[in-house]
Amino acid sequence: MSVEITRTQPNPAPAGASIVGSRQASRATIAAFLGPALVIYAGFIFYPVLRTFYNSLHSVGPMNVTTFVGAQNFTQILTHDHTFWRAVGNTVTFTLIGTVLDVLGGLLLALCLFARAPFARLLRVVWFTPVLMSYVVVGIIWVWLYDYDWGLINTILRWLGLGALEQSWLGDPHTALWAVLVTHLWKWLGFNMIICLAALYALPEEVLGAAELDACGWFAKLVYIIIPMLRPTLINLLVLSFIGKMMLFDLVWIMTDGGPLWATETVSTYVYKRAFNWNTFDLGYPSAIAVLWSAMIVAFVVLMTRLLRQRDRLEF
Amino acid sequence: MAARLGRHHAIELWLGHLRRTPLLLFLILYTVVTGGPFLWVAMMSIRTTPEIFNDPYGLPVPAHWGKFADAWTISKYGTYFWNSLIVVGCAVALLTIIGSMAAHCLARYRFRGSRFVRVAILSGMILPPQLLILSLFQILLQFGLYNSLPGLIIAYVSTQLAMTVYILEGFFAQLPQDLFDAARMDGYSEFEIFWRITLPIGMPAVFTTIILNFIILWNEFLYAIVLLTDDDKRTLPLGIMHFMGAHQLDVGMIATGLMISIAPVILMYAFFSDILIKGMTAGAVR
Amino acid sequence: MAVVTIDKLRKRYDGAAEDSVKDMTLTVADGEFMVLLGPSGCGKSSALRMIAGLESITSGAVAIDGRPINHVPAKDRDIAMVFQSYALYPHMTVAENLAFGLRRRSVPAPEIDRRVKDVAARLGLAPYLARKPHALSGGQRQRVALGRAIVRDPKVFLFDEPLSNLDAALRVTTRNELVKQQHELGTTTIYVTHDQVEAMTMGDRICIMDGGAVVQIGRPLEVYRNPANTFVARFLGNPPMNLLAATLAWEESGHVVRVPGGRYPVEGYAPEDLARFINGPVTLGVRPEDLYESGSGAPHLAPIRTRVVTVELLGAETLLILTAETGEEIVARIGRDSASHPGDIADLFLDTTKIHLFDPVTTKVIPRSR
Repeated sequence: MSVEITRTQPNPAPAGASIVGSRQASRATIAAFLGPALVIYAGFIFYPVLRTFYNSLHSVGPMNVTTFVGAQNFTQILTHDHTFWRAVGNTVTFTLIGTVLDVLGGLLLALCLFARAPFARLLRVVWFTPVLMSYVVVGIIWVWLYDYDWGLINTILRWLGLGALEQSWLGDPHTALWAVLVTHLWKWLGFNMIICLAALYALPEEVLGAAELDACGWFAKLVYIIIPMLRPTLINLLVLSFIGKMMLFDLVWIMTDGGPLWATETVSTYVYKRAFNWNTFDLGYPSAIAVLWSAMIVAFVVLMTRLLRQRDRLEF
Repeated sequence: MAARLGRHHAIELWLGHLRRTPLLLFLILYTVVTGGPFLWVAMMSIRTTPEIFNDPYGLPVPAHWGKFADAWTISKYGTYFWNSLIVVGCAVALLTIIGSMAAHCLARYRFRGSRFVRVAILSGMILPPQLLILSLFQILLQFGLYNSLPGLIIAYVSTQLAMTVYILEGFFAQLPQDLFDAARMDGYSEFEIFWRITLPIGMPAVFTTIILNFIILWNEFLYAIVLLTDDDKRTLPLGIMHFMGAHQLDVGMIATGLMISIAPVILMYAFFSDILIKGMTAGAVR
Repeated sequence: MAVVTIDKLRKRYDGAAEDSVKDMTLTVADGEFMVLLGPSGCGKSSALRMIAGLESITSGAVAIDGRPINHVPAKDRDIAMVFQSYALYPHMTVAENLAFGLRRRSVPAPEIDRRVKDVAARLGLAPYLARKPHALSGGQRQRVALGRAIVRDPKVFLFDEPLSNLDAALRVTTRNELVKQQHELGTTTIYVTHDQVEAMTMGDRICIMDGGAVVQIGRPLEVYRNPANTFVARFLGNPPMNLLAATLAWEESGHVVRVPGGRYPVEGYAPEDLARFINGPVTLGVRPEDLYESGSGAPHLAPIRTRVVTVELLGAETLLILTAETGEEIVARIGRDSASHPGDIADLFLDTTKIHLFDPVTTKVIPRSR
């Protein structure tokens, strides 16, 4: 004999009540939490980016007088602007060489500490310090270090009897970019080191033990096991370093202001100068440079990750 | 046999040390290269400029501690310091509140478009500043916020929001959902849940972002230089540059200013080096 | 030929209060499968790593075929090791994993090729040679780890709990596979585990360790039947041996062990060995399988009064969990069915010939003389 069980329909939830479900919340709640962030994002990130794109197609004079010029800014930049191309050359050279040195140097430092160096903890802290310093501090200190007469570099050279190698490091167009690069590396090596060190410690000990039993000396271990297993981290670092250097502004501004003779001019400093230090005030042109440059950075990064990325996951 | 083994072992040990000597030398060298310049600036900050030019690398034997007072008042580093403190303090406070709320929302709730919002906000982390700064300049000008501390504060909040949300969301998402379910069943409102559960338990991450944001914004240069022109509104990095421009040869005073700028950072680093190191490298290790 | 001699091996880690390995002395014969068995933290893995060369030796000596290898670097010891986590190189294919050690040793390429193919065939890895470890199952990874060791044709195999990451069913088949391979290859093997089933089924001899010290060495059944102390007695055998506080007395009929609830004559002991325990405490040990529900009149079975707590009907056998009159817990393993119920007072029967007596203070066994 079957028993009928009547089910009563639950009352439908009144409109506006909190939504049932572990991860659900009412629209009002979400709006309250997310609202301020979205407002800031929309107003100060999303909108400005759109505006920059807009500006790049216009000539934007003082008092916001805007005239549409289409692709004129871009063609002008690409065909007639020698300074732009000089800046691009500087920035790309700086970035390509700097990024490789940056990541390799960080890895090297991390390996030194990983190889059970004494006082590793203390050294880690000391070596990380420049990362935390403002570009102003770092820049000024190194301007002094590079000084021709009383800077430490030349003083040491003289002291070593290598006085002939003295330079005006920041004053000579041939050395200025490299001098700035050294300073930049000095500031950032600690960052890469810390990340590489963390990655090294995350390597499974047993795999390294297996490598030892497989007749790997420290060099073979490094080349055949450690570096391949660190690949995702290293690629990450390369990308981060790349982006940071392509957008370089502060250090150049402080140390050389783009000089001598545009030897250290980067795209960022050029954008700034074009916007605020030019005889004619036109925000459209530098906006176009910014758009162009951002596109180039994105293209480069996509290319790099595609080339270097592993095909399968590196699970361990 | 044992003696031969013993000697063999001794040679091994010695070779080991030999192999380590270049390593040790390198360690010492790099430590000097890294820490030396700061030590030098510290020494110069309490020497007078003539003393420095006389002997650039000498010890600060008559130590002129009074230079700090001078720098504070006469060279206006005090003004710059306060400006920095106000701007950075307010920005960090706003970032913490706004960022943690947004992070909590993204971590806890599923709603249509949440993925999009997350991608949108986090993309701010890799946005080149050039794309933003010129338009930001225009916008602030339009709203009368150009050359004002509030304007800079808002700009700073916008630059660091993405990173703050990234770090906090990552942390909040790991909090067990059971906690929140239990709280709901106990009758807490959503805001109470945020205030009484997410924030207290997520304090380590929140603290990390506070310290990180402070240091990054304390050192910030580009936005400040674009968005501020008045001398009394200058933040510390700008103030130092301005001073350097006007008094390029007064190395002693510049050094004192540099020390004033470095001081809060070193202080934080001394107490929170672990947090700082971990925080700054968050997310970069796969 | 590969005889491994370990002589008074000691290990103390920096800053540790105690030695992790204490005066370990052991000889593994050529081709023998020696199992180091013990609970976690007993020092067996440390000992293994010292033999491998992955851990420095604090004092003592390790020798292979008489040649001391204390200061020989790991790669020159002609030892291969299979790790608990398999430790495969995640960025290399199976074939590359197998070939890596040989390449590093400059073995000529055709030889490497041949060996890799041989091992792959032997272990059924041929279809996976081009895969990377993350695309393999746990069992397959384990075989690759084993293959990597075999391909090197070393003097000694070392295994560090290689089966603990496998699920139960796989463990059984892999266990047998490992033993079969080892017998075919005839390589001296030292195998570390905490699982006594593995030790009992795989080892030619087992070496039980506790707290860094070697407690007993012997063939599995010997150690099982004649444990050297209460630790070994309870470590081998599942459910573990029952230990009861008892007293020893001398009666005209001979030595008698008494517990509240029963008295048991014991035979086969030299009087001198038992002399100092007379009228004093001893620990009585009896294995669950030596307890019976009915006496059937057999002379060597003596009753013990217990109260039934739980009856676990497992199908093929039954476990009775009981309390002795002293309050101690006793586990008995009996046939497919049981008439007892929880709460019953049951008189079980103890096989007095299978009793073990232990010194209650030192926990060492009192040896039988015959």
